[in-house]
Amino acid sequence: MSKLGQVIESVEKYNKFVLDQVKRARADEQFGRELLGRWNDIKAKIPVTRTPTGLPLPRLALPEIDEPGEIARYLFSEGLPGEFPFLNGAYREMYLEPVREIESFEKDGGSGRAQPEPARRGEGAPDKKIPQAEEPTRLFSGLMLAEDTNERFHYLTQHQRTHRLSTAFDGPTLYGIDSDADGVSGKIGEGGVAIDTVEDMVRLYDGFELGSPNFSASMTISGPAPIIMAMYIAAAKRRFGPKVVPKLRGTIQADIFKEVQAQNETIFPIEASLRFLTDMVEFTTREMPRWYPISISGYHIGEAGSTPVQQAAYTLSNGFAYAEMFAARGIPIDQFGPRLSFFLDCALDAEYIALARVSRRIWAIGMRDAFGSGPRGQLFKLHTQTSGRSLIEAEFKNNLTRTAAELMLAYINATNSSHSNSADEPFTTPSEEWIRLAAHGQAILLEESGIFKHTMNMLSGSPGMKAVERAVEAAILDEFREIERLGGVLAAVEDRYQRSQIQNAAHRYEQQIYEGIRPIIGLNRYRNGSDDIPEVKLVRTPRKKQQLQVDRLAKFKKKNAEKAKRALDKLADVVERGENCFPMLLDAVEVCSLGQITGRLQEVVGRFRPMV
Amino acid sequence: MASPIRILTAVPICDGHDSAINTINLEFIRHGIEVVYLGYHRSVSDIVRAAIQEDVRAIGISSYNGGHIEFFADVVSQLRKQGAHDIKVFGGGGGTITQDDAAMMARKGVDHIFFAGTSLSEMTDYVRKQYGKPRNTRAHPKNPDLILARRLTGIEGRFAGRKRSPLTAHRSRSNRRKRNARVIGFTGPGGAGKTTLIDELVLRFLNQDRHSRIAILSHDPSVIGEGALLGDRATMINSQNDRVFMRSMATRGQAGGLSPATHDCLALLAQSDFDYVIIETVGTGQEAMPFQKNGIVDRMVLVMNPDYGSRLQLQKIVMLDLADIVVVNKSDLQRARTAHTEIEQRLEQNRRNQRLIDTVAKRHGDPGVDRLFDLICHRGQPSLSCRAKSRHLLIFPRLGNN
Repeated sequence: MSKLGQVIESVEKYNKFVLDQVKRARADEQFGRELLGRWNDIKAKIPVTRTPTGLPLPRLALPEIDEPGEIARYLFSEGLPGEFPFLNGAYREMYLEPVREIESFEKDGGSGRAQPEPARRGEGAPDKKIPQAEEPTRLFSGLMLAEDTNERFHYLTQHQRTHRLSTAFDGPTLYGIDSDADGVSGKIGEGGVAIDTVEDMVRLYDGFELGSPNFSASMTISGPAPIIMAMYIAAAKRRFGPKVVPKLRGTIQADIFKEVQAQNETIFPIEASLRFLTDMVEFTTREMPRWYPISISGYHIGEAGSTPVQQAAYTLSNGFAYAEMFAARGIPIDQFGPRLSFFLDCALDAEYIALARVSRRIWAIGMRDAFGSGPRGQLFKLHTQTSGRSLIEAEFKNNLTRTAAELMLAYINATNSSHSNSADEPFTTPSEEWIRLAAHGQAILLEESGIFKHTMNMLSGSPGMKAVERAVEAAILDEFREIERLGGVLAAVEDRYQRSQIQNAAHRYEQQIYEGIRPIIGLNRYRNGSDDIPEVKLVRTPRKKQQLQVDRLAKFKKKNAEKAKRALDKLADVVERGENCFPMLLDAVEVCSLGQITGRLQEVVGRFRPMV
Repeated sequence: MASPIRILTAVPICDGHDSAINTINLEFIRHGIEVVYLGYHRSVSDIVRAAIQEDVRAIGISSYNGGHIEFFADVVSQLRKQGAHDIKVFGGGGGTITQDDAAMMARKGVDHIFFAGTSLSEMTDYVRKQYGKPRNTRAHPKNPDLILARRLTGIEGRFAGRKRSPLTAHRSRSNRRKRNARVIGFTGPGGAGKTTLIDELVLRFLNQDRHSRIAILSHDPSVIGEGALLGDRATMINSQNDRVFMRSMATRGQAGGLSPATHDCLALLAQSDFDYVIIETVGTGQEAMPFQKNGIVDRMVLVMNPDYGSRLQLQKIVMLDLADIVVVNKSDLQRARTAHTEIEQRLEQNRRNQRLIDTVAKRHGDPGVDRLFDLICHRGQPSLSCRAKSRHLLIFPRLGNN
């Protein structure tokens, strides 16, 4: 049985274990009493908070049950937030206002009358000097050249306590080629930032303290991820010296499986890609304990048209396949387990009411019981982005509502961080106005509204949500079984299984819109008639900037021509010998461009052959 | 009856958004259009080269990653530079291409941009109306690939609507002319990996020297309604090269793995300035005999999948008697060893010194593919039965044999 088979078995076993515990709680009086005692204990320890209107509320809401069987079911099957199997949240408090705020509030006058609201961040309002949890906001951005994106990063974070940057790269970078490659000139800086060399990487994060605990960089790139990772490390070393390396925080996507399944940005054959990835993971999990070297992503699977269940099932099974691979390399599970992170899409289908909750539970059980991971590796640490596919051009301001509803679902699922899409995304690179509104959407839900900041589990556990959880879990396990039947994730990927399933679902989705079975307001229902493309200022990279990038690259290549040749030879040698090539990549990026390295690696391991 | 409309579709370089084009391709072929699909992440020169070699009427580009104004304009200008003014360019990109962009692209010579919300039938109607009329015969092109491509189109056109070749005279005349190329035929069941194997061989041909040129004649079946998805180029990453002339042919209603025009097209390619001509049939059945003994094909390669069913099935595969080389591809599969043994025994009955090779074509630098390459190039393999090149006057292919 493959590892995925063991995961299926462990979830089934765990569900049976829960039922056994329920029965036992009812039959075994002593056990029942213990549970009841524990339950009352938990309830007694829950602090009480007060809303700005003076209403007292518990910091954690629990179901009103007092029967030992039901208590067992809740504690074992769902778990408290921050407790195995983490259905309700990876952490205990998630979006709650920090305790210090409440304490001072209580001290000043816990009389129950309306209190002055603690100062919130806002236009011109200085941050209050109390420790606050960091915002879950991660706004994905990248445009034109490194210096332009750098400016955007500074703009986005000017009011943030913490600087969490999420980087989008342009097409040539995503495909591992240089800005001077044949026929890419129009693509430079389009849809993301153009990065060719370590010098661009230095410019990209200029002015940010890369080693600071308040800074982290997320980089959305997979095909050439190990090369870009090496460039990031090299750039950090250039600015802060070699001691900064263990302090670096951030995430690089590096998800090869989903590229092959959905996004088509693979540049090396699958096995070679996985080997380079494992080389990088081996290095970063050892040398950079705060770095997330892979973001196992369902987002692009969802955007490519999968059903929500397919999205979760493929993402989870991909994750388990990576874990199996890293373990096979000999990386200790407790070294890499806590460094895996996840990225899901959130759209408006009913499944999204509990999709991430169920995923968190399956991951925890699989990692604990099939992989023997410790507690930190059991956490399904999740970044959620609202669905880009759900946004449309017709009456595009409706997209604000769509994104808000999706964000709401993401928070109900207790995502650890989130990105909300700009309403103008269907027709352009997001402009500052709509980006700001998208970011404010998050703040309105988490900071302005009382939905998430006072009480954990505020909206969890409704009968409907539970029904969705059960149905989604069963469907995910069915998908696992099919993948297992095909010989595991890698075999299924090479067999195009996931790819075909996703394409089929995408086709069905379009068909449903066309037939009106799937209402899209403003498109196939309540259509306004006028189909004018809204007047929006387009963010396009000027020709001059594209030329500047090409010129800088030429200068870099000329300057390093001799050294580059030697570095590439050494790199090719290490790759051919089958050793971990990441340390050699770190040397190579000092003198070679992204395209030079990709090209040389492709000579050794071949190119990815597209699946059609 | 006229030949079906041939168009080429592709997604630009650094763009992996292929879901729209996949849907559109299927709609086109349902409506009788032959679509040569080049795949995603394709450069301007790949697209222009393919369009010229395939001699399509128009190129449809689906672009979602920006830079479309420059990209489309580059395609148009490179086509013109190569003398292919009459290959038209159209495309779309959902919401990423604005009305203003489209206007600018039109000024640069792009025929038409479809905007978000265009129905599939609008696109199909446009293509049929716009590119369905016969092309005005133009002045003589100078680009040799373009000349060759147009001659192939001419041959295909003469066969349009007929099931078998009436042009015996033409055939024998063309066959009598001198041959330059070595012709290698690949056949075998669908999904055995013929296309990948050929592409890997092409890489070795190209690396062997700096000058030789290769032609590939690749076949895909026409569907009911006359359209065809000619998709081999999408996975042939090594064959998109100026030293490779590739032509994709639809079977246009003929059974047996080839098109009615194949023979004449192959004869023309064999007389043209190529060192090797590779012909790939569609996925064939057990009874298929696409290449005739002592025909124009110098080496017949049968590519098998280890999963052919029971041992008895092997007795029924006619090509096992005819092939010079039998390849068991996907030899990393569990069943491959058994397959090798069974096929070996089957070949021994023939006493023809046929060669059996195991390959994993999908693996970069596979040693099995290296061996196959050596065999095909004749290096150190005198035991292969060699046929005199002059004896190719017999009918090839044997038509309608199944």
